[in-house]
Amino acid sequence: MAHESGLNLQEEGRRLLASLYGTLNALRLYPVENETVQQAISDLHRLVERIVEAEGGAEVRVVGDFFFLNETRLRLDLSNFSTFGSFARALHDHGIGAVEILPGIERSEWAPFISMLLRGPGGDLPFETFRDRFATTPVEHIELRPLSEVDEPKDDAESLTAAKRTYAQSVKVAKDALGDMRLGKAVNVRKVKRAVQGIVDQVLSNESSMVTMTTLRDFDEYTFTHSVNVCIFSVIIGQRIGLDRLQLYELGLGALFHDVGKQRIDLDIINKPTGLTEEEWRELMEHPTEGLLILFQMQGFADVPYRQMLMAYEHHMKTDLSGYPSTKRPREPTLFSRIVSVADAFDAGTSVRSYQYEPWPPDAVLQEMRDNPKRGFDTLLVKVLITATGVYPVGTLVILDTHELAVVSQVNPDLELLHRPKVRVISDPVGLPLSEPVTLDLSDDDPATGAPVRQIIKTTDPQKYGIRVSDYLLA
Amino acid sequence: MNEFERSSGDSMEGGDVLWDDALPVEDVRQLFVTLAKAFRAYQLYDDNNPVRRRFLEGLRTELQRLWTEMDRIVVTVDEDHFYLDGREVYRSESRADSLAFLFFKDGVREITFLPGVEGDELERFLGVLQRARKLVPEGDDLLTVLWEEDLRFFEYQYVDLMAEGVTLPEPGAGNSSAELQAVLEAEDEADEADEAESGEADEAPPPQTVKQDDFNPTLYALDPREMETLRSEVRKELARDTRSDVLSALFDRLEEHHDRSRQTEILRILSTLLPNFLSRGAIVPATRVLEELRTLERRDGVLDERGLTEVGAMLDAVSARDTLDELIKALYDGTIKATPTQLAGFLTYLRGAALPALLHASETVEHKELRSVLRAAVQGIARKNRAAVLTLLEEDDPVVAAGTARLVGDMQITEAGPALAGLLAHDAASVRLAAVEAAISLKASTVAGALEHTLDDPDRDVRVAAAKALGTLKYRPAARALGGIAKGKDIRGADIGEKVAVFEAYGAVAGDEGVRLLDGLLNGKSLFGKREPTEVRAAAALGLGRIGTADAKESLRKALDDDDAVVRSNANRAFRRED
Repeated sequence: MAHESGLNLQEEGRRLLASLYGTLNALRLYPVENETVQQAISDLHRLVERIVEAEGGAEVRVVGDFFFLNETRLRLDLSNFSTFGSFARALHDHGIGAVEILPGIERSEWAPFISMLLRGPGGDLPFETFRDRFATTPVEHIELRPLSEVDEPKDDAESLTAAKRTYAQSVKVAKDALGDMRLGKAVNVRKVKRAVQGIVDQVLSNESSMVTMTTLRDFDEYTFTHSVNVCIFSVIIGQRIGLDRLQLYELGLGALFHDVGKQRIDLDIINKPTGLTEEEWRELMEHPTEGLLILFQMQGFADVPYRQMLMAYEHHMKTDLSGYPSTKRPREPTLFSRIVSVADAFDAGTSVRSYQYEPWPPDAVLQEMRDNPKRGFDTLLVKVLITATGVYPVGTLVILDTHELAVVSQVNPDLELLHRPKVRVISDPVGLPLSEPVTLDLSDDDPATGAPVRQIIKTTDPQKYGIRVSDYLLA
Repeated sequence: MNEFERSSGDSMEGGDVLWDDALPVEDVRQLFVTLAKAFRAYQLYDDNNPVRRRFLEGLRTELQRLWTEMDRIVVTVDEDHFYLDGREVYRSESRADSLAFLFFKDGVREITFLPGVEGDELERFLGVLQRARKLVPEGDDLLTVLWEEDLRFFEYQYVDLMAEGVTLPEPGAGNSSAELQAVLEAEDEADEADEAESGEADEAPPPQTVKQDDFNPTLYALDPREMETLRSEVRKELARDTRSDVLSALFDRLEEHHDRSRQTEILRILSTLLPNFLSRGAIVPATRVLEELRTLERRDGVLDERGLTEVGAMLDAVSARDTLDELIKALYDGTIKATPTQLAGFLTYLRGAALPALLHASETVEHKELRSVLRAAVQGIARKNRAAVLTLLEEDDPVVAAGTARLVGDMQITEAGPALAGLLAHDAASVRLAAVEAAISLKASTVAGALEHTLDDPDRDVRVAAAKALGTLKYRPAARALGGIAKGKDIRGADIGEKVAVFEAYGAVAGDEGVRLLDGLLNGKSLFGKREPTEVRAAAALGLGRIGTADAKESLRKALDDDDAVVRSNANRAFRRED
């Protein structure tokens, strides 16, 4: 994204958060006169002055699990998760959603502000308490807004439309590419690349909308939507473990093609509505090898796509090398293959497929992947996926303690509250549909009792009952 | 209907062209002239070249000047032109050099420069153009290059082919009351059933009543140690040689003999990969391919006859002269940067057919280390292909014939004697010389007879080597010929080295019978009381030293106090048998 100021707000923003966090820690450990504290304040002030001068002001907002510096969303990865998380908690404890720094800020204004963040939050109304205390300090160029006033910077509808467009185009591209492959025609790899580039961009800027898209179950044939969903989940995991944009692209490309080998498997097997015979399973289990071989034929890559080949070849291998295909030579599935394996299992486990058992509710799939070592997934990567999807992923059909039916619509960004997402309530306790689904934040507590407003008591699979969760999420 | 997609996500607006006379059209025109020049300089010169830097500075200056008049420069693109608000600001003379066509051919229809592009991003932008120029049709396109570069101060719109025929997903009306009620009822019943049943099918979904575990963050949150593990996994992944993993996969599957058509496909892939590896200088994976193929070739029952033929053909192809010429070229020009061990590993898998090319290279390369690796490889292959070595003695290439002769000597291939004798009559002196040297190594009497005829070889080095060889072999029948040379006129005109070789050889083969001749040359005087020239006398002394008998020593003793210092010195050396 270009900025008139010429500043790289992504980098400056990351630096700013690191500096704020550093000053916070310094003040936690030492008195204000300490050299370390003074140095941290000086560094912070210089950085802020540069940003304010270039941008005419600087607003740091915390929205969900993302930070924004003005309109730039700062990228979260392994190199900054701790900094981001700690500073977000410091603001969150005081109910602060945004900190606006105005032109003219002086160095002396930082210590009072940061010191106040270190104090314990004030009772039931933390923001109001903080604001009142803050008003007594000589700070004039820092203004605060409460969490409740801070919204997503982009219009939800606009985000959703962009995600819909990317998703629909990607499914179409996957369909064309896989179809061409089955017919032995040349694949338009450029279109595939463009689709993956679109998915990467959307995940980086609009992750939750893209996750919503994966709940679409009847948008197109499973083979095509599954390929795109695996691509989306893989890129989400990749982003969380710190892969950069180009690496996410490499990962996404392989993820989109992970099942490409199925194009050489008999369609009668792929589409068989009932369970497969042993021989049919044997044939189906050849698809990873066929995928590897098909990718050798595919033209349009600047280099031989070795990494993508391995994602196709290894995505059904377990971490102990059981699974398939069998291995004779020493092998350790690549990290990218293990990511695709997790993404594939999650999407496949929650989908109705041909030759497949009853789908599981998303939370049950995650739990099984995390807790059952026989499944052979990389449990760290499963955990990473859970931090993105929450304990109850978007699209999970839940029954609340009020006996209402609801669909999980948004993950709680607070790692401590992953089990308390936002939901859309779709029916009353007796099953009557609500005229307009109501969105509830399950992390909210009843001020009177201190107990959660609602709790999930049970999850179930929407497909089992023909519940089209996307009807409630895309609206 | 195509859509235009802006890199920032906005759609392109159509409409009438509105001419704005306030636009600095001439300045923008000049900007593109400068851009074209700067791009040419960027292509031609290295990073620090002053010409390149000057053009870049010029471009920067023009952009900075324009920012005082415009807040962005938006131009539309057709095959040969850029237009600012409908007015031409760039026209290309030829497609080959056209900046406009570079964008147009990959679907870009509008480009925008934003303030800031003149900073660090300018060279990256030129780098994009440079990469775009070099793109091959089957590889990436400009849009991918632009996406990868992720420029912040340069935007573009392109024809979005993906938008064709796409319907956006829209929500349905939601479920009916009956459907929702059915869920609640069924789940209530399921709860009751769960309570009644203790066992469950392996793949049936478990009951999903919420459990305490769901709320335990330690089960799903990553701790710092786990984060570090993942970070190190990322580093490992990015440094990983995925080619090796792919090869393991291919060979795992190639060993499965139940699917012959797959084996054929894999062999075809390998035959493509091998040159691909070598062209990229990846000698280690190339070696792995050869190693695995040779192992497979030797295992019974893995490949059918056709497969074995294909493997054989592949291994033969690597050993072919053309391939090896390419390999040597690649080693020379740095395309392949292999350590001696890596190169030796690759060469191990070559076959007899590789010998001529390798021999040629091992005889001609100037790089000492490379030469030594090649020679070791040649010997390794030759040891397994003795018969092939013999046939190489008949090679037309004199470098190969000479190298083979030396190889024959080094490897003590005694059966090569007759062929070596034949080489003594070769047109090339280098070959005759190598054959003589090989004869010395072989100590082959079959060659010694032929060596005698080489004593009058037109090439001085060959003559010297032949004399030395005969001396070393102590081939007595040659005494007469050598004696004749020693007495003759020609040797007196030869250099000291040749003289010494002949006289020493004569001493070695003639023994006591040669004392008389050599004593006469060392100590005798002519009718006019004149001694032989110094060099002849000194060489004769050395010849006597080779004889070493009492008579020879007596002859030498006479010269120990000779007036001629050179003679005296050599007589002393010979007397004391200092070789």
